[in-house]
Amino acid sequence: MNLGSVKYLTGEGVKSAWVNRLMSLASIGVLVACMVIIGLAILISENVAKAIGALEQQNVVMAYMKDYNWALYSEENQADDTASGNSSENTSSDSTDKSDAADKNGIKPSDYIIHNEEEAKALCKEIEKLDNVAEVTFVSSEEGLDNVKSSMLEGQEKYFTFLDEEYGNPMSCAAKVKMKDMAYFDETVKQIEGLEGIDVIQSQDDLAEKINAIKNGIGVAGIWIIAILMVISLVIVSNTIRVTMYNRKLDISIMKAVGATDAFVRIPFVVEGVIIGLISAVIAEGLLYFCYRVATETLKSTLGTTDIVKYGDMAWLLLLVFVGIGIFAGVLGSVIMISKYLRKEGSEFAAI
Amino acid sequence: MEEQIISGDFSQASKPIIEFRGVSKTYPGGTHALEDINIKINYGEFVFVVGSSGAGKSTFMKLIMREEKANTGIINVNGFNLTKMKRKQVPMLRRTMGIVFQDFRLIPTMTVFQNVAFAMYVVGATGRDVRREVTKALSKVGLGDKARSMPNQLSGGEQQRVGLARALVNHPDLIIADEPTGNVDPNMSYEIVNMLTEINKQGTTVLMVTHDHNLVRDFQHRVIMLDGGKIIADNAGGDLQ
Repeated sequence: MNLGSVKYLTGEGVKSAWVNRLMSLASIGVLVACMVIIGLAILISENVAKAIGALEQQNVVMAYMKDYNWALYSEENQADDTASGNSSENTSSDSTDKSDAADKNGIKPSDYIIHNEEEAKALCKEIEKLDNVAEVTFVSSEEGLDNVKSSMLEGQEKYFTFLDEEYGNPMSCAAKVKMKDMAYFDETVKQIEGLEGIDVIQSQDDLAEKINAIKNGIGVAGIWIIAILMVISLVIVSNTIRVTMYNRKLDISIMKAVGATDAFVRIPFVVEGVIIGLISAVIAEGLLYFCYRVATETLKSTLGTTDIVKYGDMAWLLLLVFVGIGIFAGVLGSVIMISKYLRKEGSEFAAI
Repeated sequence: MEEQIISGDFSQASKPIIEFRGVSKTYPGGTHALEDINIKINYGEFVFVVGSSGAGKSTFMKLIMREEKANTGIINVNGFNLTKMKRKQVPMLRRTMGIVFQDFRLIPTMTVFQNVAFAMYVVGATGRDVRREVTKALSKVGLGDKARSMPNQLSGGEQQRVGLARALVNHPDLIIADEPTGNVDPNMSYEIVNMLTEINKQGTTVLMVTHDHNLVRDFQHRVIMLDGGKIIADNAGGDLQ
């Protein structure tokens, strides 16, 4: 095929789109609607992902360590009434100096992995090395106690203060772990549990499950929406091409009579389909920008929400998606229709 | 018949351009359109195909153009074995033939020049070749001065000459004319057959379907007569008996 043929066929495609402008406009209208809905689905999913991301950041697990100081606290409780209220701090610095002799309760320092803050922080570093771990914060036993107290309702706290003053700090050192992807929550928890020095892990695994369920639900719904709208787009473009095809029945019959290949006959129709698809993509991008801007402005002014995905961050991706859909629907829609025609009626070029 | 061979392509005059061997065609509904057809048409011949409606003329021509496939038998056209031919090879066969339609089949939105050029663009000709060949083809049919006219500005005879120019422009070996005189006045009919005869004298094989017995009688070419799906006569020299 030479340049003259390409020019001729492209021109024919453009001419067809113009001659059938009413049908072309109808197709563009439906395609734009489909694209805007697909775009909205993408934007909503991005916003939900962002919100879930924020939620995920709050969903941390607490990995409590096998802390010798905690054992001492237990021992002191049982031993006698000689209070050691500042047990944690004092024992932290002393514990390593102690001999490994068992005390009267049979507790030996060697039975415990963590004897001081340095060892606890080293374990935090170990946790940090795991693949799905985003961030690890060391929580000392004092901080742990403060956190527990601050989470209590007013009035309940005094009971803990009583315990604290009477028997010392009951909290062991811990690592506060944030994960990268909640989908690997269980695996990561198991990996942390497997590390030497970890005693017990406290997590809100039900929240992790819910987050994953929401994410998966949005993903599945998005795929269905896109699939259904793609089929609609294909049907619409095919129908427009069908009208063009019947309008150009004479041209096709002559083309076939003089020996045009099926591929050659298809080209003007494919060009027409692609033109419809591309025009729709540009209009959909503009329309979605306008709609999204209005929606986000309203949300900001009424709910005061600022944590919304900016259209500018998604503009190129959306345009790419729209152009992709436009070309896909244009090419496939026209190829399906013209191939069907050529197989059945298109060969009837001579009315002899 | 001898006369056509002498006036045709000397190098291939004795070779058949169209050959039917035991060809039968039955349509899915059970209609027997052609039965056991055996015929040879040599390069350079001018052949009239005559017969009443339903005689099998349409099927005969459709088989040659590979618009239909035979149920039994072998068909060879211009070196192509149509029985074994795949669908994607059909355009190559058709590029060796020019088709003239009874209803002209001109695209009303194109000028005379564009209508003829269209046939060349379709087979991938370049702009310069298109200009040269279209001008030559239009001159050959006497329409050199009508290149910019629209089809609706032409008489029936002139429109058919445009159709003829379009069939000629790609230099086919075989011209298939489907009642080319069916929609034109008697004078113009003679003019068109005269043109086809001239084209035939330059070596192109012509196969023309017609109902006009006067033309067949006056032009003295080979005549194949079909009836009930069978060849009932195959005579040289316009003899319809």
